[in-house]
Amino acid sequence: MSIVPDTVNERLLTTTGDSQLATHAALWLIISVLILPIALAAVYSTQTTNAVYQITNVFPGSALVENYTTVLFEYNFGQYMWNSFVMATVVIVGKLVFSLLAATALVYYDFRFQSLIFYAILFTLLMPLPVRIVPLYQLMADIGWLNSFAGLTSPFIASATAVFLFRQQFRSIPASVVETAKLDGIGPIQFLINVLIPMSKGMIAGVTAIMFISTWNAYLWPLVAIIDRTNQVAQVGLRYIQGTGAEGFVQWNLVMAAGILVLIPPLIVLLVARRYLLSTLGGGE
Amino acid sequence: MAEQHSRLQVFTSNWQAAALLLPTLALIAVFLYYPFLETVQLSFYQLRVLGSGEWVGLQNYVQLFESGAYRNSLVVTVLFTAATVTASLFLSLIISFLIHEANRFTNLYLVAAIWPYAMPIAVAGIVLDFLINPRIGVVTWAIEVLTGFQFAWQTNGALALVAVIIAAVWQGLGYSIIFMTAAFNQVPDSITDAAKLDGIGRFQRLFRIYVPLISPVLVFLIVIQTIGAFFGGFALIDLMTSGGPSNATNVLMFNLYQDAFLNQRFGYASAQSIVLFGFVAVLMYVQLRVTDRYAYYGGA
Repeated sequence: MSIVPDTVNERLLTTTGDSQLATHAALWLIISVLILPIALAAVYSTQTTNAVYQITNVFPGSALVENYTTVLFEYNFGQYMWNSFVMATVVIVGKLVFSLLAATALVYYDFRFQSLIFYAILFTLLMPLPVRIVPLYQLMADIGWLNSFAGLTSPFIASATAVFLFRQQFRSIPASVVETAKLDGIGPIQFLINVLIPMSKGMIAGVTAIMFISTWNAYLWPLVAIIDRTNQVAQVGLRYIQGTGAEGFVQWNLVMAAGILVLIPPLIVLLVARRYLLSTLGGGE
Repeated sequence: MAEQHSRLQVFTSNWQAAALLLPTLALIAVFLYYPFLETVQLSFYQLRVLGSGEWVGLQNYVQLFESGAYRNSLVVTVLFTAATVTASLFLSLIISFLIHEANRFTNLYLVAAIWPYAMPIAVAGIVLDFLINPRIGVVTWAIEVLTGFQFAWQTNGALALVAVIIAAVWQGLGYSIIFMTAAFNQVPDSITDAAKLDGIGRFQRLFRIYVPLISPVLVFLIVIQTIGAFFGGFALIDLMTSGGPSNATNVLMFNLYQDAFLNQRFGYASAQSIVLFGFVAVLMYVQLRVTDRYAYYGGA
């Protein structure tokens, strides 16, 4: 510090104090803007349909319970949410199990074409749904899976990202741990359950959170693959409820209630698992 | 990515390895590779009913490139994507930088800034659809009262594009902030301190020092957000504008959906899928040329 003139030091300190105030003020402002639409939606979801059409009425109304029960039961949102939940669960469990098995084979075995197989899995990153949606629809129609749970979930279960992340994770497990397991002479499934999974809990939690959010939020495939409304998921359910009002008279209070309902599960997942989610995504290595 | 698996090799049975890989390989073969290759094939056919059609060679592609509607769709997509990615990355950069600069509450700010990552695009679409509704939306009303400007996006094509861009930027911020915050945290304190002692202003510090240092993350985010805007815009368009007014928001993905599932032009739609694949492949290639460290987070 002796090489820094005192004046510089002082200036640094004072500007730091001012700029901290500005930083915090700016952050509060930005965050308020980000949250405002959802806060307004939550307020509107408590109003009656008449109140929601009065532009300047941004105060909580009296129809909270009525609106949410109407959406959940009369407009079947309970059913749609349940369908979304089951879809997300099936997809996540499938992804975790299959990706963990594949990563085990890719890291703890040595066989011909191992790299080739790994790259063949990674190459599927170039094939997002829109690039294969027409034949996928045809395939589902041919095998009778349109409008079914199997058709809804099966295209999402294989995951290049999860295989890649678990492979990275396994490769970071110390060789000494692996050697011990090797000496014990246990089989691959036991090795996975007793050694690899306990050592990969953080990564598994992070991948689960990411997969829940992306699966819960899927819109295009359910829209295409599900015809019968009782099998539909919540995202497309939003479209139904937005379209129910006759002659442009949309019941926006109910639409907002549905939006809030659909937002809650992924938001809870983000809040609960944010530590794992951040380390899995932002951690890089 | 040098392979070093021999050190870790625990098991030797080849059939076991095959069995462990089988579920993943079977699923990617049936639900990824097969439909993708089939898309390539269908793009050379004209079919009205799925399953039967006639070979037409490159006609679908020729038709695509001669179609004014498709060219419009391409322009709309490029505008939507460029504006969304630019605005989203710029805002995320500022927000992440402010969070990084803050001396307290950083965890609180981080959560309060990244939550839109969890927000379904459909929710962003319907909430804004109401709040900025030109007749009854409170935000549009406030804009008009404060500035006299009529945000009539349901009848004005350019404004409609602005409306969906706002929704896309809002929903996409969280994801970028997650990656940028992590990248900022890896900038050594010594660099920050040296810059402060040199008396460099904070925004100069951001753009002259931090941005070059975190450029691999920025490239990754540009690629992933571009792909996301190409495909993810679909739900917004479907819920807010249905491609209108007068096709002003008819992005490639919405055009493809309409041709495939409303107009039953499956071959023509498949050719559009292949064009989209071309875009994704080029973007991913650029990404890999720059750095492969983040390339694999893009999938689901």
